Amino acid sequence: MVILLIILFYLFVTPRMVYAYIDPGSGSYFIQILIGLLLGSAFTIKLYWKKIKDRFIGKNKNENNEESGVK
Amino acid sequence: MKIMKRVELNNPLEGSYKDPSGLVYSSGKKIYRTVNRNYKSNYDLLISSGLYEELVDKNYLVSYTSVNNIKKLLEIYKVIRPQYIPFISYPYEWCFSQLKDAALLTLEINRRSLLKGMILKDASTYNVQFNKGKPLFIDSLSFEKYKEGEPWIAYQQFCRHFLAPLLLAAYCDFRLIHLLKTYIDGIPLDLTSKILPYKTHFNFSILSHIHFHAKAENYFESKFKGRSKYFLPKNSLLAINDNLKELITSLELKIKSTEWSDYYSDNSYDSRSLQTKKRLIEKFMKSIKTKKIIWDLGSNIGFFSKNLNLEKSLFIDIDNDYLAIEENYLDTKKKGISNVLPLNIDITNPSPGIGWTNSERMTLVERGPCDVVLALALVHHLVFSYNLSFANISDFFKRITKWCIVEFVPKNDLQIKRMLLNKKDIYTDYDQINFEKVFSKNFTIMEKVSINSLGRLLYLMKKK
Repeated sequence: MVILLIILFYLFVTPRMVYAYIDPGSGSYFIQILIGLLLGSAFTIKLYWKKIKDRFIGKNKNENNEESGVK
Repeated sequence: MKIMKRVELNNPLEGSYKDPSGLVYSSGKKIYRTVNRNYKSNYDLLISSGLYEELVDKNYLVSYTSVNNIKKLLEIYKVIRPQYIPFISYPYEWCFSQLKDAALLTLEINRRSLLKGMILKDASTYNVQFNKGKPLFIDSLSFEKYKEGEPWIAYQQFCRHFLAPLLLAAYCDFRLIHLLKTYIDGIPLDLTSKILPYKTHFNFSILSHIHFHAKAENYFESKFKGRSKYFLPKNSLLAINDNLKELITSLELKIKSTEWSDYYSDNSYDSRSLQTKKRLIEKFMKSIKTKKIIWDLGSNIGFFSKNLNLEKSLFIDIDNDYLAIEENYLDTKKKGISNVLPLNIDITNPSPGIGWTNSERMTLVERGPCDVVLALALVHHLVFSYNLSFANISDFFKRITKWCIVEFVPKNDLQIKRMLLNKKDIYTDYDQINFEKVFSKNFTIMEKVSINSLGRLLYLMKKK
């Protein structure tokens, strides 16, 4: 798992870093991008899956939206 | 016509200097908060988005009223008066479950903020206080407009302030939460990563939020010279928030069942003597007019705070036994008791003033004085285990309370005999006459009652 994360990190993050001033939270930003990529994709898939499921079982739309974060 | 007294704002509280959005002032029991013009758009959005109303309705966020009768400087947009919190406590005084509940509240507020187009710009443990038995977010100026694509600026702070101490307590030792006293801005992630057992590398969430996060901080601090132009979708932020929530919810304080059972057996009380003491305390309390805040020193699991018929008083249950405080909090939470705040404080080494000029976070004494101190079966522990004299104890009580209810345990008591088993008896002046003589210098003894036939006495004393 560590190796997979390192590969992902270098493939997707490192080459696109540029620009100007030192930010002490940079490491934190990149971790968010990295895990955001991984977790975000799963989260989005889960969301759409829920949407499809709800269409068939007719769950309350507003309730679902509040939980999922979709407006 | 009622004439409103004009409020003057002098000397902001030391802990409020960091946030340029506004300062906090106190005037007696009233707290005032300035909202600077540079925060105007965020403040207005908090209201117009309905987020403030939603969070206040849920009892997640402190409510406030606007103050108009105030002389304000040009840079100040508004002055607000948040609801009063009767006792301020700090994360290094909380037990594991209190810190966990405060963390989950912060994440829930962040999630709800994102759904309303805002985000928390800081995620400090000091933004949470315990009020009426529940955690309450007290920083109304922590919200800012969420900019699509931007990461969560407070993510690292959340990991240091909440996640690191919770993981250390759950995976290593609950006493490590006290590191928050040394590290006012949260436990450094590299230190957390070093202390956590290796097996935590196989947990994706801990690997990402702590181990990898610590390495990335270290790596980019020296190499990275710019701000990322990455676009982080809102769903990714919500996913990170959810992942932190799942991880924290899953954390538990791992106490071996034997330790728990020993703990309970060691603390088994003689219920008859407890009931007698309870009745006597209730009788004493009737003579005390103002008893809004009561500090129960050496409260253990909080028998008196929960059983005395004093629902209108706020009990601050203080004990240096971490597990007793954990048990006390879980019990108050389960029973929905709102007037008890258990805190893990060692009374022989109470919380110091920490932060800039030692005044960002107050000492325990500065948060007093309280109305009544309960010191039941405590004085003999302080004398025989810590070599404190009656004068030391009486002088300390004088600084922290107006009234006190103190139990005197005679030297022939079984507990004291046990304490002296492997110790030389140097306590020649430990007797009832000397106890009364010394305490009478600072206090007037209002009542004195015998608790049992073995010579234990209960005193009601009023500060001179």
